[in-house]
Amino acid sequence: MAAYLMRRSILGSHQCLRTLSHQEIVSKFSTTKCLGEIQKMTRLHVVDNSGTGRIAEFTGRPPRCIHVYNKTGVGRLGDKILVAIRGKKKKAFIVGCKQKQNFMVPRFDSNNIVLIEDTGMPTGTRIKVPIPSSLRGNSGEFTKILSIATKFL
Amino acid sequence: MAASMMSWRLSVSLRCGQSASFQQLDIFARVLAQPHLTQLHITRGARRTCKAAPWLSKRTVDHKLNEEVLTTESKEFLKNVAIERFKERMANSPLKDAPAERHQWTPKSLRTGVLAIKLGVIPQWTKDGHRFTCTLLQVLDNHVVRYIPPEEFSKYPSFKKKWRKNIFGSLVVGALSTDPFKFSKGYNNLCAKVGLPPKRKLTRFLVTPDAAVEPGTPLKATHFKVGDYVDCQAKTIGHGFQGVVKRWGFKGGPASHGTTKWHRRTGNIGGGRNKAAVWKGRKMPGHMGMEWRTLKALKIWRINTKYNVLYVMGQNVPGPVHCYVRVMDSRTLFRRKERIQRPPHMPTFYPEDVDEPLPEEIFDEEMFKFTEPSITFTDKKDK
Amino acid sequence: MAALGNRVAALGRIRLLRSSVFIQCRYSNTLPEATVEKHRKSKLAQDPEESETESLVAPRDYKYVYPEFLPDPKPQYRDRIREKLEHEDMFRRRTVLKIPEFYVGSILAVLVSDPYAPGKKNRFVGICINRSGHGLRSQFTLRNVVDGQGMEITYELYNPTIQGIEVLKLEKRLDPHLFYLRDALPEYSTIPFDFEPVPHPPGATIPVNPVKVKLRPRPWHERWERQDLQGLQDLELPERFYERAREVAKPWEKYDLMKQYRESINDDDAAKIMGYVYKKIQELEKTKER
Repeated sequence: MAAYLMRRSILGSHQCLRTLSHQEIVSKFSTTKCLGEIQKMTRLHVVDNSGTGRIAEFTGRPPRCIHVYNKTGVGRLGDKILVAIRGKKKKAFIVGCKQKQNFMVPRFDSNNIVLIEDTGMPTGTRIKVPIPSSLRGNSGEFTKILSIATKFL
Repeated sequence: MAASMMSWRLSVSLRCGQSASFQQLDIFARVLAQPHLTQLHITRGARRTCKAAPWLSKRTVDHKLNEEVLTTESKEFLKNVAIERFKERMANSPLKDAPAERHQWTPKSLRTGVLAIKLGVIPQWTKDGHRFTCTLLQVLDNHVVRYIPPEEFSKYPSFKKKWRKNIFGSLVVGALSTDPFKFSKGYNNLCAKVGLPPKRKLTRFLVTPDAAVEPGTPLKATHFKVGDYVDCQAKTIGHGFQGVVKRWGFKGGPASHGTTKWHRRTGNIGGGRNKAAVWKGRKMPGHMGMEWRTLKALKIWRINTKYNVLYVMGQNVPGPVHCYVRVMDSRTLFRRKERIQRPPHMPTFYPEDVDEPLPEEIFDEEMFKFTEPSITFTDKKDK
Repeated sequence: MAALGNRVAALGRIRLLRSSVFIQCRYSNTLPEATVEKHRKSKLAQDPEESETESLVAPRDYKYVYPEFLPDPKPQYRDRIREKLEHEDMFRRRTVLKIPEFYVGSILAVLVSDPYAPGKKNRFVGICINRSGHGLRSQFTLRNVVDGQGMEITYELYNPTIQGIEVLKLEKRLDPHLFYLRDALPEYSTIPFDFEPVPHPPGATIPVNPVKVKLRPRPWHERWERQDLQGLQDLELPERFYERAREVAKPWEKYDLMKQYRESINDDDAAKIMGYVYKKIQELEKTKER
C-alpha cells in the first residue's frame, strides 16, 4: 500500500489526483526537483486523445520513459522517447516539458507526450492541449504530430 | 637567470681549479650574499609570480617619510608642479616631427595590440532575433611608449629562442597615465622620453617593422574595425590554493552513510606493479587560476568611439571585471580571405585619415540597433 | 522600519568603498573600481571624461516603476560605464517600443514575432508571476492555464522580437513573486485570451489585490510554509511542518544592516541612477508629444 501511495505522490499531476481523496495523498519524502527533466523512469502525461493514454492515467499507472533517443539521455522538446505504457513498449514524442526553458518557449506544468505507432503515425487523432510554437520548425517524422495539433503557443 | 649563470660560472671555475681573480670572487661573493639574487631561479621559475625581475629598476618610490614632513598644501603644490612639468614635456613629443613612413598591409605583417580593461558582459541581438552575449572592453588612455627594431631586439636577453630572429620588433604599449610623483625617476623617464606621463601598466607586443608605430602615438578602440576578429589575453580569476574537487572537478566522497574524513579527497594517485609511481601531470590540489589564458578569434560586433569601448563576442574573456586584457589581431587562419579583402588600419588608425569624424557608435551589419523598429519575420517566398 | 531605513541610508552616506570591503584586490592584473574611475577623469589622460551634469531628483516611486534600471548589487560586477551604455540601449529601445508600467500580479498580453506562426505573430496572455534581472537582462514571467494545461513563458523585456506589451489589468499582489500559483488550484491563474482591458486612470494609485490563494494538497514545488508569504490561505499542514519552519527560520536577518546593504543598491546610488532615468523619460515624452 505504501509503495502504491508513493507512486501516486511522485506523479504530482492533478490529472491523476481527481481519482483520490485528499487524505490519501501524503508523501513521505520531498518531490521538489526530481521531476525537472525527462530521463529514464520519469512519469509522463499523454496529451493526445488515444484510449491507451487515458486508461493508463485513470488506473494510476502513468506511462514511464524507459529510453531517450538522443546522446544526452535527457529528453527535450521534440525528442523521441520510448515509454512503458499498460505493459507495452511504445514510442512517443515530447511536446511539453516541466524543465526550465529558453526565453519565449513555454514551460508546462507536466511532461507531455504524444504516442506514435511503429510506423511513425500518431496513435491519437487530436492533441488536447497547446504545444510550443517553436516545434513548428521541426521537420521529418514530427510533421505528423504537428498536423494533429489544435493550438500553438 | 643572470645570477644562476654567475653561480654556475663560479662553480665551474672552482671545480676546474682555475684561479678566479679576486675581483671576480668579490663580485660573486656579493651576489651570493644577496638572497633575492641567488634564489632567482626559484622565484622567477615559479608558475605564477607577481614579483618584478630584480634587474629592472625600481618602479615606485616610497614617499612615507616625505608624507610625514609635508603639509597637505605643499603636497598638492608639488603634485601640480609635477603635472605641469610633464605637460611641458608632452609638448616635446616626437610626433611633432615629420610623420614616419607608412606601409601597406600584407598578410605577413603583424600589427600591435591594445591594452584594454574588461567592463562586464551584456546581451545583444542580431537582426534575425538571435541573442548573444558581448564582453565590453575599454581601451583607456593607451599610448605607444617604445619601439625596438628587430635587429636590436633579437640581441635582447628577453628575446625568446622560439621566435625567429630579425623578424619581429618589440613595441611597448602603456595604459593609464598616472601621477609621476609616485614613481621612480628611472620609470618616469621611460615615458618622459616620448613626452608622456608615466603609465600604470606597460605591455609588449611583437610587431613586424612595417607595422611599427611611432612612440607617443595614442591608440584608441578604432585601432580595430567592426567585424575584425581578435585574440584576448588575460590572467584568469585567482582562486588561491584549492582542493581537487574545485580545481579539477573530482567527485569526492559521499556526504554521509558512515563516511568519515573522506568527503573531498582525491583517492589513489598512482598505479601498482611496474607503474608504481606518481605520473607527471597528475591532477592534484594546488593554486587555481591567475594564469595567462588566450581566447582566440572573437568577433568585434560594435565599437563605441566616445568611451573607446569594444563589444567583443562571448562571455568568457578570461579574468574578473576591471582586469587588464591584451587585445590583438587574431593570428588564427580564420577568415583569412576576408581579411585580405578588407585590410586593417596600418599601422594604427589616425583621425587625419578620414574626412568626417567617426560616428559615436559603429555597428556590425548583422547587428540589431536599438533605434530600429522591432524585428518582424517574413516568408521566404515573399522575398 | 522607518528608523531602520534611515540607518541604512546613513550607511550609504558613509560611502563604504565597495571594492575594499568585498573584493580584496589580490589579483596583480586587476584594478579596484575606484582606481579605474580615477583614471577615467584624470587630468593627465589624453582626453579625460567630462564631468556629468547634475541629474534631477526623481519621484520616490521611480525605483518601483522602473526597477530594471537598478544594476546588479554584486560589487564585483558593477561598472559605471557599462551601466551607462546599457541604459542608453534601453532608452533607445523605449523610443521604439512602449514598455508600460507593470508589477507582479498584473495581467499582461505580449505580442511576439514568430517565424513559424501563420501571421508571423504570436500573442500570449497571462498573469505576471515574477520580474527579475537587471539592465538588458531584465525579464518577466507570465502564467496562464490554457485547456486545463498550466504553462509559463519567460520574456526578456528588451528583446527586439517583442512587438508590443499591453497591460490588461494593472494591480499588485501581496507578495514579491507568485511562484506558488504553480501549486494552487487552476482557477487562480486561468485568464481567457479575450480578457477585456480594465482601464486605469493615469495618476491613480495602483490597487493591491488582497486575494488569498488556496493551494492543492502536497507535494509542492517548494516548502511554502517556510517562506513569509502573505497571499496564501491556511496551508492545513500538521504541526510538525510549522515547528520545523520555525527551527530553520532566520528572524535575525531583518536586523542585519550589512546584509541589506550588500544585497541592495544603496539609496545614494539609486537616487543618482533614478535621477538620470527621470531626465531621460521626460525627454522621451517630449519627443513623443512632437
